[in-house]
Amino acid sequence: MIEVEHLSKVYGSTTAIEDVTFQVEPGEILGLLGPNGAGKTTTMRILAGYLPATQGTARVNGFEVHENPMAVRQRIGYLPETPPLYLDMTVEGYLHFVARLKGVSAGDREQRVQTVLQECNLLEKRTSLIHKLSKGFRQRVGIAQAIVHDPPAIILDEPTVGLDPRQIIDVRHLIKKLAGNKTVILSTHILPEVSMTCNRVAIINQGHVVGTGSLTDLMTQLAGVSSYELLLQGDQSRIAQQLLNLSGIQSLHWHDLEDASNPRLSLRVVCDPGTELGPKIAATLVHEGAYIYEIRPTVTNLEDVFLQLTTEEQTSIEGDVISDLEGSSSAAEGADQEENSDGKEPL
Amino acid sequence: MKIILRSIIAIYRKELQGYFSSSLAYVIAGVFWFLSSLFFFFILDNIVREVAQLDLQGQFGVSPPPVDVPSVVLQNFMAVMGSLSLVILPILSMGLYAEERKRGTLELLATSPITNWAVALGKLLAVLTFFVTLIMPLAVIEGLALSRGQPPIPLVTLLSLLMVSHLGLVFMAAAILALGLFISSLTDSSILAAIVTFALILLLWIVDLLGDTLGGGLGEMLNHLSLLKHYTTLTQGVLDLSSFVLFLSYVVLGLFLTAQSIDLFRFQRS
Repeated sequence: MIEVEHLSKVYGSTTAIEDVTFQVEPGEILGLLGPNGAGKTTTMRILAGYLPATQGTARVNGFEVHENPMAVRQRIGYLPETPPLYLDMTVEGYLHFVARLKGVSAGDREQRVQTVLQECNLLEKRTSLIHKLSKGFRQRVGIAQAIVHDPPAIILDEPTVGLDPRQIIDVRHLIKKLAGNKTVILSTHILPEVSMTCNRVAIINQGHVVGTGSLTDLMTQLAGVSSYELLLQGDQSRIAQQLLNLSGIQSLHWHDLEDASNPRLSLRVVCDPGTELGPKIAATLVHEGAYIYEIRPTVTNLEDVFLQLTTEEQTSIEGDVISDLEGSSSAAEGADQEENSDGKEPL
Repeated sequence: MKIILRSIIAIYRKELQGYFSSSLAYVIAGVFWFLSSLFFFFILDNIVREVAQLDLQGQFGVSPPPVDVPSVVLQNFMAVMGSLSLVILPILSMGLYAEERKRGTLELLATSPITNWAVALGKLLAVLTFFVTLIMPLAVIEGLALSRGQPPIPLVTLLSLLMVSHLGLVFMAAAILALGLFISSLTDSSILAAIVTFALILLLWIVDLLGDTLGGGLGEMLNHLSLLKHYTTLTQGVLDLSSFVLFLSYVVLGLFLTAQSIDLFRFQRS
């Protein structure tokens, strides 16, 4: 249905995406997950035919977006990050306009508009001017314009951003309703959204796809990895050294405590898959003379997946913070370790 | 072909509807009609006085030169209309793309199965229709006033005179609007678009002055580019095809540049 192969986009000297490859099967909802600036919007804009890619191909229903842009545009519904609404039009008038623009024939137009009004729960607002609508309703009008020409593929760029929780639930229901007979790609930087709406995820970071698969796949791949959250007090650099000397420890992630004057240290210890290092860690710490306030094994959830897949950004921030607080040696070590763990990514 | 036509009509209708729901359009129409009727009255009043004075001279035995009242009135009035349009057209064209850009709706147009130039053409036709609506009532007033002259001029002569001069105005407006369209497509600030458009057409308005100063081949070329010169020719009732060709060339240039700038902008946008 949608095939993206080795897609790259370079703006001047900055590379927005590089070698992005993924597929979406018919009827599937793919979540494009990544932090802000990861290249989600760029990827979607290329798919929608708004931007040309520097390299690579993207096919929708067998049509390549650069070779056959008009055919692709007819088969795709696209909701940009800000819904493209004409505020001085009524909801119905706007949808009629978009239907005409997308080439819906005059005979089908009225029926299509009524259908999407119903599908998107907009019937009560059909004659309202768009600028009088709340954000949630505007978002629904945005989705309505994306599906008014009944395209087989829909691209939604951050469809729930800026909505209140109730509206978010509404929009998610709407998207789930669409799935089945339509292929949907939606981008988000909110993890729960993916688990609630998507069949599959492509995780994208700094322009690269760092993992694709069903959520359960990604979870099981990572399930073996165990980690511990620690809260303790002691000499940070020595603790780091001792812990890293233990066999089976992959990396340490130091957390920044809100209260800078607090002498306690908070960190996450990532261990090799299948190891039970809790007692060993505790023994090492006690031996080192550190006070342990808390030691807690953490469950691998999607947030963890996400953290693991896209830790590069976080490393540099945490590294900076620590080197400001403490001696730079431990920070450098921590950072090194983290980079290593990135290299050993299971995906 | 049918699809292209349909999308042009879609844009055209949407834009025209926009004028009915925008207060700016009503304000422009009001101001335009008020000012132009005021000028029309002054011009008529002026020529009546002038003719009366000539009559007075005639009574003293000095034979006055013949005055072609209808064509003098029309020429003077069309000159005023031209100047008013110079101010109003940039205001009409300023938001055509700048607003789309600001609101993010350009992304909808650019991802719809419709070419850039079809969008530009639809927009140009719509804003031109609005302008024609502005000048239509005035043309009727002119026709009524001039048909009352003594001795009466033949209806065919009057109509063709009115036709040619107003066609000239419409074509010139189309040229200016097309350039304004292009400038509007470069920015997301309407005000900036209006100012730059105004400056550009003011330059094109009087570029023949520059041409006269320079002289030579370049000067002659600049002379031909002048909007005012060609416009004046047409308002004199001279059906000069080269003037229409020039205006049409500006239109084509404007549309072409608009379509290009929309594409180019997408390439560079981050």
